[in-house]
This record gives sequence, C-alpha cells and structure tokens, in this order.
Amino acid sequence: MMREDSHSKSIEVSNLSMTFRSDDGTSVNALAPTNLEIEPGQFVAIVGPSGCGKSTLLNILAGFLKPSEGQASIGNEAVAGPSIDHGVVFQDYALFPWLTVLENVAFGLKSQGLGWSERNEIAMHFLDVVSLRDFADKRPRELSGGMKQRVAIARTFATKPSVILMDEPFGALDALTRRFLQQQLLKIWSESRKTVLFITHSVQEAVFLADRIIIMTARPGRIKSDFLIDMDHPRDFSSDAFRRIEKVVFDSLDEELAKTFGLAANQLQAD
Amino acid sequence: MHFLRHSLPYALALLAIGTVWQIAVWVSQANVAILPPPLLTLATLWELIANGDLAKHTLASLSRVVSAWGISVLVAVPLALAMARSRTVERLLDPVIELFRPISPLAWIPLAILWFGIGETGKVFIIFVATFFPILLNTVSGVKGVDPVLIRAGRVLGCNNEATLFWRVILPAAMPTIIVGLRIAFGTGWAAIIAAELVAAQSGLGYLIADGMEILRSDLVLAGMIAIGVLGVLIDSIFRFIGNQYDWGPA
Repeated sequence: MMREDSHSKSIEVSNLSMTFRSDDGTSVNALAPTNLEIEPGQFVAIVGPSGCGKSTLLNILAGFLKPSEGQASIGNEAVAGPSIDHGVVFQDYALFPWLTVLENVAFGLKSQGLGWSERNEIAMHFLDVVSLRDFADKRPRELSGGMKQRVAIARTFATKPSVILMDEPFGALDALTRRFLQQQLLKIWSESRKTVLFITHSVQEAVFLADRIIIMTARPGRIKSDFLIDMDHPRDFSSDAFRRIEKVVFDSLDEELAKTFGLAANQLQAD
Repeated sequence: MHFLRHSLPYALALLAIGTVWQIAVWVSQANVAILPPPLLTLATLWELIANGDLAKHTLASLSRVVSAWGISVLVAVPLALAMARSRTVERLLDPVIELFRPISPLAWIPLAILWFGIGETGKVFIIFVATFFPILLNTVSGVKGVDPVLIRAGRVLGCNNEATLFWRVILPAAMPTIIVGLRIAFGTGWAAIIAAELVAAQSGLGYLIADGMEILRSDLVLAGMIAIGVLGVLIDSIFRFIGNQYDWGPA
C-alpha cells in the first residue's frame, strides 16, 4: 500500500442501528436508527451518558463492529472493516509495549511501505509536535498515562488518515494532564485539519475542542441535539461565551441524565 | 558483581549440601560403594571432566533434548496458534489434548522401546511427548491473552491480513508467555531424558548413572546427578536471560 497525503473525508451515517444479542437470548438495543453527516475537516464531539451507544457508533465507524442495520460511510465509501485511512485513538492508549516510543509512532508508516529513514524522520516530527522527542527510545512502560496518550495521538496522526476517531481518549487522565493534552491535540489537529470524531463524558472538554457538539440520549442511543460552536481557538474556559455554550449543552444533557437516573431535570440542577 | 550476587546463594547451598552429606557419611559409617564422601565424589566428577566422558555423555543427552524440543516447537507453536485463533480447531483438539496430557512422558517409555527399539528415535519421541504440552498450552494462553485492543490497534495501523497481524502484533505480544512455555518444556525434557536413558541407552547422563549403579560405583552415580543438576540450572538461567529480554512490562 502506498502512502498518500489524503484529504479529510466526510462521515455519513444513515439509519444505523445496533442490537447486541447475548448467548442467553436477551438482546440490548444499543443504538436506535441514527442519521448523521459530518463535513470533511470538522471536529465533532459526541457527549452522552454512559451506555448511550456513543462507543458503539465509533466502533462501527472504525470497522470493529458490523451494524445490525443501516450503513456507515466514510468519504462516500461504506465502511468494510478497519483501515489505516481511518485512524483510531483508544482510551487505554493501546501502545505496543515491546516497541520503543519511536517504533510505536512509526508502526503504521511501515504498513504504508515507507523506508526506515523516512519512517524515523516522520515519526520524529510527530514526536516533536507532542513534545516527546527526548523519549523516542523509551518503552511505553517508562511513560506516564498522559505521555502514553500523546504517543498514541502522534502514532495516529503520523499515518495521515482522512478521519480520526477518538474514543474518550483523555477519560483516564487527571484534570491537569487533560487540559495539557487538549491543547496538544488542538495543536496537532491544526497542522492537518482532519475530520475528527471525539467521544467524551466532559461537556467542558467538548466545548473547548469541538466545532460541533452532538448529544446522545440514554439507551437506546439516539441523537438528541446538535450544536455548532462558532468560537475561535484558543478558547477561554472562563469567558462568558464559553460559559453560555456550556450551559446550553448541560441543560440538554441534564434531561437525559434525569431520565437515566429517574429524576426530574430541575432536581438534578439543584444538586 | 552482578554475577557474584546471583551465584552466592548457589555456592552457599552447595556448601550446606556438602556439609550435611559429610555428616551423614560420618554418622552412618556407610560403605564407600553405597555412600561415598563428597570430596571423593568431586574427585570422580573431576576425573569424568578430565577424561572427556562427562562432555561426551552431556552432549548425547543435550542433543536428544534439543532436537526433540525443536520438533516440539515446530509442531506445537503452529498448532497452538490455530487453536487460539479458531474456536472450531480448539473444540476439536482440546479433548484430545486433555486426555493425553495427564499421561506422564515416562509412561511412554515401554511403547517407545517396542516401537523404535533402544536407538535415538525412541528417546527423541519420549522427549517430544514431554516437551509438547508445556509449549502448546503456554502458546495457546499467550496468544489468547493478547489484549484485544492491541489487535484492534494493529488493524487500524495497517495490518490488513491475519499473517501480518500475527508477525507484527500477536507473536510479539504473546512472546513472554511463549518463552515461559519453552523454558518449562526444556526443563521437563531434561528430566525425562535422564529417565529414558536409565532404561535403554548406550550413552547420555542417564546411562552414566545407570552404569554406575551396575558396577557398584555410587560416586559415579552421584557425580552424574550433580552434573544433571548443575546443567539444569545453567540451561534454565539461559532461558531466564532470554525471557528477561522480552520482559517489557505493561504498556
């Protein structure tokens, strides 16, 4: 396979639904028929309560799961399986522990048929972007959680995929590390402006990063609301505009949380 | 310094064994043909080293174990991969393996002699049986234990087919467990070859021991036993060293 500097691609989801059947005959409806269109180059965050099917949606787009019904396409091509053109950043990093940091970042470049020196050069550049050049020869176990996720982000961006799917990538990190990684993600993203689908629990994170926020309902997952965020980067957490958007998103989400926990929405806000 | 720190416990253990042994000799006043003192045994061991007999017998035993172990690796590793990656293959083979596994490799010695005589083939067969299961079972558990998220990561990073995925992700990820299996297998093979050679052989460390018994030279028997123990520890430490190269810890 040859490496090409692919352009960002669109994501289209039509009537996509997913029902998991277990061996004992019970079935769980994880994703109700869903439609979604994402333009090339858009940074979209999906926010929703646990079990709203947002990871299911991502796993279908990544080609890890086959949907029960409907279709997922990337760049007008139906998703047939995992592909190096559809990058994935996992919550638990998924670094290869037997490889060095540099070799991890170069892993996909080898699949793309690049020679040794070219691979190293590109991998070093991306390590530079996430400020980990000095750790190139370390093994993943010598790195902190935040550093591991920066390596994983560099590894995904290095292959220049046309869409990048991120499954709660900062979910396991502490608040300070999280803020730093959000900034680094925007930095590496602004270099290439790939289409990004970013799943998160954090409203603040979604408002800080995304051009567009989609809220999903509790099981079975369905798209509840869809907001465009028209704010320049870098965004200031404490600005009025930021707070206003955050409030709108929270209000929409609270209705869902209330359903999940069987409360009235106003009770939730009182807490 | 590193070497010293690791060999010191062994030196102390040897000293303790020698002391207890010498005391046993004094207390029991046993005939030298039944229980020779440690120093005499060491002299015999030195003689065996000097006249080349020990090297000859060690080489005979080692080459049998190495070749049978090698055949085991070639058969068990691919079989284990098939079992770990396919439910059908596993369901088919698992009962067969579970039925054969409890049978000690030593129980195969009579059949091996009937089938292959007392030549090399029979011994290689017994060691094959002894080394096969540890390699197979460890490889199966190693491959099954590969974190599924690493397999997903491999797929989205361009491992498009099962073969590429195997070489670039599954094999290296399973390597630490596979090496443990190779090490345990060599140990069981080393134990089994001595038994096989006790019964039917013209050479090998087992033969050396059996021969010592027949000519009432327990110093030869004990010298052979010491050689078996020391070589076992040395071989095991080589495997441990190799295993440590693959000990990369959690990701």
